[in-house]
Amino acid sequence: MQDILLNIKGLHASAGEKEILKGVDLEIRRGEVHAIMGPNGAGKSTLSAVLSGKPDYAVTAGSVTFAGEDLLAMSPEQRSWAGLFLSFQYPVEIPGVTISAFMKAALAARRKAAGLGELSASEFITLMKEKMAFVGMDPSFSKRPVNVGFSGGEKKRAEIFQMAMLDPVLSILDETDSGLDVDALKVVADGVNAMRSPDKATIIITHYRKLLEYVRPDRVHVLKAGRIVCSGGEELADVIENEGFDKF
Amino acid sequence: MGHGRYIAPPEARYVVGAGESLELTFSVMPGESKDIDISVDLAGEGASFDLKGFYILGGEEKVNIRVLVHHKAPGCRCSQTVNGVAGGSSQVRFDGRIIVAPGADGTDAAQTNRNVLISDSARVETTPQLEIYADDVKCSHGATVGKLNEEELFYMRSRGIPDREAKVLQLVSFLSPAVSGEDGIAAVEDALRRIMV
Repeated sequence: MQDILLNIKGLHASAGEKEILKGVDLEIRRGEVHAIMGPNGAGKSTLSAVLSGKPDYAVTAGSVTFAGEDLLAMSPEQRSWAGLFLSFQYPVEIPGVTISAFMKAALAARRKAAGLGELSASEFITLMKEKMAFVGMDPSFSKRPVNVGFSGGEKKRAEIFQMAMLDPVLSILDETDSGLDVDALKVVADGVNAMRSPDKATIIITHYRKLLEYVRPDRVHVLKAGRIVCSGGEELADVIENEGFDKF
Repeated sequence: MGHGRYIAPPEARYVVGAGESLELTFSVMPGESKDIDISVDLAGEGASFDLKGFYILGGEEKVNIRVLVHHKAPGCRCSQTVNGVAGGSSQVRFDGRIIVAPGADGTDAAQTNRNVLISDSARVETTPQLEIYADDVKCSHGATVGKLNEEELFYMRSRGIPDREAKVLQLVSFLSPAVSGEDGIAAVEDALRRIMV
């Protein structure tokens, strides 16, 4: 198994005419948790969108390998099958599709891609119940349309639930902590900590240090104006909290 | 005419009497070109009419749908939900007309026709019309022609649901208010997969 899980080299990306990422370099090893911090407009969400394959962005230069494979050549669903998961900053509401139907379709596709058969109905229900209990979601949510009418906290909880269901190798949390109260923040943190293992990795994109008190990162990076301008250990988060991003 | 659900023949004229109710459904599946002409008179006090219909087209189908509901007596209600998915170079024309006659007070009428175009060369023309000659009526009508929701599709794909399945899931949910029963939903899924190749 390759030690470097994600390798981003000289990544440039644009939305329309506007270049947002201007040469991002980042190496993430298995077993590590990385935090990416930066001011508004630095390109944090663009980075997560590009990594997950959102069609609105064009990669104009650079490369990204994921477990040794060319990530940028994969469709969004192939990236998911390969073990990448993005927790959305703004989870999308899907009227008419229940969480249960949504997860069933997602798991079936992923298992098919891995050459596995479908889970039986009872295996699926057991797994759903276990993961819902893990994030403290009421089981009645399984019958509700995805994210429709959920509060901000419930949406983020549902993202962590999906993450736990899909058991990714690389989880990217795009400002999953924003707008959360302490209880919901702990759910997110517990979710990430429980997924920590020597063969997996996590990227936490955030404005604030708060989540990093619960999930202690191995590395902290500052993303500013489309580039990583500084990297360090978790003490870097304290510097940012105290002094802001202007000094970088 | 008593209570019950009927599958509308292509051309259908009904008169619903006092206190009676009528439920009609229709469907147009891929490959079918149809003219559907439904006319319902709500002739007696408290008569009721429900219509659910859908179309799923992916080729060169031509579909014309006319629904005329005439509220002739007081206190009648009708609800019409017609949704459709048009792909290929299919053509759809929907004319929905509700007439509320003088004296048909307390009418409660609702009609919607919603459409999703999944190709650039499919055409949908929809014209809902209301003609109201009575007081104290509650009438609503709405028609939309839109496209697939890209944000939803990307969200589903990011969870590993293949593009085609994500579209099917979204369109099943879009059509479901116009489909009756589990069997109906299964047939809809199957038809959507066929036009989504």
